[in-house]
Amino acid sequence: MERQSFPISVKVNGTEYRRQVEPRLLLVDLLRDELGLTGTHIGCEEGICGACTVEVDGEIVKSCLLFAVQADGASITTIEGLADGDRLNPLQDAFAESGALQCGYCTPGMVMAARALLKSCPAPSDEEIRCAMVGNLCRCTGYQHIIDAVKHAAEVASSGNEKPRVT
Amino acid sequence: MDAPRSNWVGRSVRRKEDDRLLRGLGNFADDFSLPGQLYCEILRSTVPHARIVRVDTSRATEIPGVVIAVSGQEAKKHWKPLPHLVEMMGLKQPNIYALATDKVFYEGEPVAAVAAESRYAAEDALAAIRVEYEELPTVLTIDESLGANGRPPKIVLYEEWGDNLQLDWQFSYGDVAGAFASADLVLSDRIRVQRHSGMPLETRAVLAEYDHRRRELTVRMSTQIPHQCRSAFAAIFGLPETHIRVLSGDVGGGFGNKTQVDAEAIPILLSILTKRPVKWAEKRSDWLVSGPAARDYVHEIEVAFKKDGTLLGVRDALVGDIGCDGAVRTGGVHSLLVGGIYIPGPYKLQNYEVSVRAFVTNKAPYGPYRGFGKDVANVAMETMLHRGAIALGLDPVEIRQRNLVDEFPYQICTGPMLENGSFRDCLDRLVKEMDIEALRKRQEQSRKEGRFIGIGIASMMEPSGFAGPMSMFSGFESASVRVAPDGSVLVLTGIQGIGQGTETSIAQVAADRLGCTPDNVRVVYGDTAVVPYGLGSFSSRGSTYGAMAVYQAANQAREKLLKAAANMLEVDPLDLELKEGCVSVRGAEARRLSLAEVATAIYFFPGPYLTLPNEPNPIPEGHCTWTNPAVRWTPDEAGRIQIYPFHASGADGALVEVDPETGEVRVEQLWGVHDVGKMINPKIVEAQLVGGAVQGFGGAMFEELKYDESGQMVTVTLGSYQLPNFRSAPPMKIAHLETPSGITPLGTKGVGEGGIIAIPTIIRLAIEDALRPFGVKVNATPLTPPRVLDLIESARPSTRRADPP
Repeated sequence: MERQSFPISVKVNGTEYRRQVEPRLLLVDLLRDELGLTGTHIGCEEGICGACTVEVDGEIVKSCLLFAVQADGASITTIEGLADGDRLNPLQDAFAESGALQCGYCTPGMVMAARALLKSCPAPSDEEIRCAMVGNLCRCTGYQHIIDAVKHAAEVASSGNEKPRVT
Repeated sequence: MDAPRSNWVGRSVRRKEDDRLLRGLGNFADDFSLPGQLYCEILRSTVPHARIVRVDTSRATEIPGVVIAVSGQEAKKHWKPLPHLVEMMGLKQPNIYALATDKVFYEGEPVAAVAAESRYAAEDALAAIRVEYEELPTVLTIDESLGANGRPPKIVLYEEWGDNLQLDWQFSYGDVAGAFASADLVLSDRIRVQRHSGMPLETRAVLAEYDHRRRELTVRMSTQIPHQCRSAFAAIFGLPETHIRVLSGDVGGGFGNKTQVDAEAIPILLSILTKRPVKWAEKRSDWLVSGPAARDYVHEIEVAFKKDGTLLGVRDALVGDIGCDGAVRTGGVHSLLVGGIYIPGPYKLQNYEVSVRAFVTNKAPYGPYRGFGKDVANVAMETMLHRGAIALGLDPVEIRQRNLVDEFPYQICTGPMLENGSFRDCLDRLVKEMDIEALRKRQEQSRKEGRFIGIGIASMMEPSGFAGPMSMFSGFESASVRVAPDGSVLVLTGIQGIGQGTETSIAQVAADRLGCTPDNVRVVYGDTAVVPYGLGSFSSRGSTYGAMAVYQAANQAREKLLKAAANMLEVDPLDLELKEGCVSVRGAEARRLSLAEVATAIYFFPGPYLTLPNEPNPIPEGHCTWTNPAVRWTPDEAGRIQIYPFHASGADGALVEVDPETGEVRVEQLWGVHDVGKMINPKIVEAQLVGGAVQGFGGAMFEELKYDESGQMVTVTLGSYQLPNFRSAPPMKIAHLETPSGITPLGTKGVGEGGIIAIPTIIRLAIEDALRPFGVKVNATPLTPPRVLDLIESARPSTRRADPP
């Protein structure tokens, strides 16, 4: 049985990629297996856990629920596109400061979801954070410190103070 | 040796792991690839109990991209059965292979496997495999497993056993009959907990490569116990351990669920047969149906009280449904034993009788899950204390204070020695933190308004550092500490990082001993070719066994650095201090040498004969395999041994509101007061406590691995299993007390499981307290709205039945 394949072109973290893909190839598999961007993780196969969260054309999506062919022509940002060389970005830094990660498996998806929230809602309340991020599951932290991290990042951004606190 | 003065231990140092994890540069097993690799998928049984008549894989290999498809019978020619993890207690051990050969014992048991050029082709191949089963009658409940009226069960899973009992243990101490005869009050109840488990966000993953020319096997995998996996693979594949390397980098959560070798052997077999690397990334649905399950037990408990609330005696019959196996495919059956041992808790109780029986059924295997029986014990005793208080008209805090141990060391009647503890102080502090008086007033006011809030409290302890004789969890841990010529420090530890901040806390311990910063210390774990044989991470042992092995090894390196520096500076080693990256003379700090200067001098310029003359092992390295002086395996006169040397203290509280119209429960706040001994990194300790608490919350409220009446798993998606999320997870406030353990110079006690142990208990009790006006008793979980409504309904006088669900 011959498998069809289609040419697609995606821009990921600023770099253009062209690939031939089967129609059934998931976007998350394109990112991880084809492009070697393994920061985006898979925790389920039904779009519940959010570990696969990436940004496609400005909106966050669960990349396990999208086919690669659907992302043809899109501009994608993954976790690997956030840090500025050696420096973590302020949101990533806030996660580290607040103890918002333990095993780190949900973390890329969490950071992408938090980033999207802060773009549209720069000073979210606890309740707004809980609602906006309900699509991202974590089994290690119990969520409390992730909420702290998002609020801390919001404070840092609003005070214009880019320098992270050091313990 | 000077008493430890610490600069780093005790500080909430930022975690070293975080940088790579936040960048998406983690080292999870499925993140790695090798040229020419194939992808493995596993065909799992669709029936719970059957003989395998035929497995036809011929059509699978016709699919383009599919390289191999094997059945259990074919695989049997190439490997041995799964080895035993534990041998103690005369356990009955099933003799089974990683791919089922003649029979399947649960829906989800691996039956065949394929390897293909892509994940997608591998899934296509599974669909082309034909399996013919001869279905057998199922055993799905304890009653079916036990058999009726003393007769043997109708169906026995493992014919050679004669029955379905994998573990059967009885223990009695003191004068239990006398205690009950003299009681002012005897309460008895049936306390049940449903099947649920760790559910880490990362499922199992393996990248196996067998190099035929060198006869070397390399297995990258997600595990808590890399060395034991290596030993297991050696036994399964008949390869010497010296030719096997297990690599475990970042692990996306373990919680006890990754302490075995089961389906992990399958991609290794396929690599050997295809002569290509083989990757396996387990599907979530496969994990749900086959991953280690836990809990699933019932207590029939009786407690005898004096009218002032003093505990006189306890009898418990603990029975667990351990699925098809709790010893070989995964090792969870002993958690029930631990449950039976710790029911007396931190209370003065010397009349106790317990029986623990674990029955096999046609369900997934039964593995360790955070708590490992300490939770089993906690819910039984604390629930009965709560009800005893109510029956006797006592305050729930008062009844505990009356019975809590306050003189140490104290030997629990089942054997464990409580070395010290602050149970009373933790409880007192909890009362303050919660402001229980104010909460009671609020409760009274709410009832007048037709709202039902409830308060639940429990004392708890966390025994940690399991050291089991006749097991692969046998109570030692290893470390190597090496100071390089440039003064940088390498620590090799047998502990495995699974999210608990191993790289950071271990670095803090080494940095203190060697007078440098954690940044100057590189911690390596999860590589059996590099790290000395260790037992990995489980039973909250990282801050005790893991840290102590590093502490001692670092001390050895430290001694040699000081001796060499003393020779170089021409002073006595006792006059030297090691701090801030330098060795300096006390009181004359200008006379100093950096770690690099001392190290380079020892190694090369001038070298060991002048810097450390006549010194054995004259380079700045140390090695230690640490065992615990408080462990004792020879039984005492009552047949008791010491296998859990450390005991942390605590008390937890919950405030809930229940809506009796909808059955919805809102957990408004959780509190925890915990004394885990010396905290290496308080932020990490807090993270463990909160994380564990939310897992406990999930287990009490909605998590369940559910089977239907034909033995088919119903919860086959993560969505149906229901993990706590941002909206449901309750907030938690933590207060710390610190009573260092006297067993070790570090004074740590372990904290990995402390968060979860009492949380299901306090949620049950808080709901019971809220619904007291309805006469509700919470005897089972999860406390979903339908169950809560049912509890209220069954408690009504007109519908009261003998055995509420």
